[in-house]
Amino acid sequence: MTAATTTPEAAVGVLPRADGSAKYSHAGYTVTASVNGPIEAQRRDEHAYEAHVDVTVRPAAGVGATRERHLESILQSSLSQIILVKNFPRSVIQIVLQIEDSPENDYVNTKLVQASLNFAIMPALIQTAVLALLSAAVPMRATATATAVATVRQGGATKTIVDPSPREVETAQSVHVFAFTSHDELLLAESEGDFTVKEWDDSYETAKAICCRPEPTKEGIAMVLDDETTAGPDMRHFLRLAMETKVASDLYWK
Amino acid sequence: METERLIVLPGETIDPSLIPSHQKLPLRLGPGLRHIPPSDIVPTVAGQLITNPARNSMWIEYNSQRYIPSTSDLILATVTRATPDAYLCTLSPYTPPATLPTLSFEGATKKTRPILTPGALVYARVTLANRHMDPELECVSAATGKAEGLGPLAGPGCVFDVSLGFARRLLMARSREEGGVGVLEMLGGEEGAAGGGGLAFETAVGRNGRVWVGSESARTVVVVGRALQETDRAGLGIEGQRKLVKRLVREVR
Repeated sequence: MTAATTTPEAAVGVLPRADGSAKYSHAGYTVTASVNGPIEAQRRDEHAYEAHVDVTVRPAAGVGATRERHLESILQSSLSQIILVKNFPRSVIQIVLQIEDSPENDYVNTKLVQASLNFAIMPALIQTAVLALLSAAVPMRATATATAVATVRQGGATKTIVDPSPREVETAQSVHVFAFTSHDELLLAESEGDFTVKEWDDSYETAKAICCRPEPTKEGIAMVLDDETTAGPDMRHFLRLAMETKVASDLYWK
Repeated sequence: METERLIVLPGETIDPSLIPSHQKLPLRLGPGLRHIPPSDIVPTVAGQLITNPARNSMWIEYNSQRYIPSTSDLILATVTRATPDAYLCTLSPYTPPATLPTLSFEGATKKTRPILTPGALVYARVTLANRHMDPELECVSAATGKAEGLGPLAGPGCVFDVSLGFARRLLMARSREEGGVGVLEMLGGEEGAAGGGGLAFETAVGRNGRVWVGSESARTVVVVGRALQETDRAGLGIEGQRKLVKRLVREVR
């Protein structure tokens, strides 16, 4: 569980020319996102009553193909749910996600650096997109946090792994990706592999504990971040911290 | 100076005790907030919650790059095209054009209208901002029929892009005290003890994040523009701005 113990890192507003941007790295993945919008839509993307969310995923090497289109369609439908698309009819909100780095699989000797995308990268993509949208000040209904959970069967017992490495994804029985809004609503649930309803429920609970951990009570400085009962990073707290830093530096004059 | 900022993220609940209440005035919601009937007030952007109990208003203060038109904003528009009864202008890149009727200039009639070529700069006010329609502009006050400082920006000068938050700070009535921007005063101030630059220039600040700097001297235009952009990007305080002005004025001599 080396990947799960690393803390996520983020930098907001890294690209000077874009309306909003963010760089996010966690569990071996590094993604940079830029957001532009609302801008004028092309005729084919134009919708009379809501903004079109245009997501582009670009792999670290090579050009995007079917896998990227699949990820884009999943991200597009999830992000349209949290962006207030009705506020900007006939416009486009353009999100470009550039994958910069993904963890290597030590067991497979891949000469080609060609992208091999899997579910494990989706939390990083969602998280970066949300940070970049916040940076661009695109009006949103809520924020979102995401995580990936793998279920591994070892000698009859099942074990859930948070933020699995490529090797763990390969050996896992099933991999699940969950995203939750800041209202604790399930935004995205994608699963692959063999699993029972019980296993899905366990994965769901694990993911929810990571994405929807309640705010620590601000009694003095008694903000315990890593207590024994919960494993993995506290995504919601992380998101808030990243944005607090950004807002404070923007409003230094206030 | 406040002791602690109240920073909100989209969708967070605002403590009801923070919402101002007033006997007579209705509650006014500013940018970044939305009202979900019956009684929820929810932020839509990440920023600092500001409340003004005297005027019974609240809004979110944040900085951004993309201008979204709203009524009665002063903006710097570029004319792109002329149609028989209106000029089409851009307020920000890749956004639908805003219309500026040829009759909404001071003293304009059907016979006499200002001639603006594509690329001309106009300092205008937004009269119509509606999500379903393209914005509309005017260069004349509807109440008095006078230009009141609006109109085509002629003469030598240059436009500089700044962030929207910085443009708002420049437009504050007391920008030095409230907004913490004194760079223009310093550049234009008397040379000598006060550390002024002694430069002669004029500016027009648009809420769409564009500043026009006009001066007979091209050097002055560049110095003022650079001072504004560097103050914005580096986030300089009053003291930092003073040093910057000193350096730039020395370099230009």
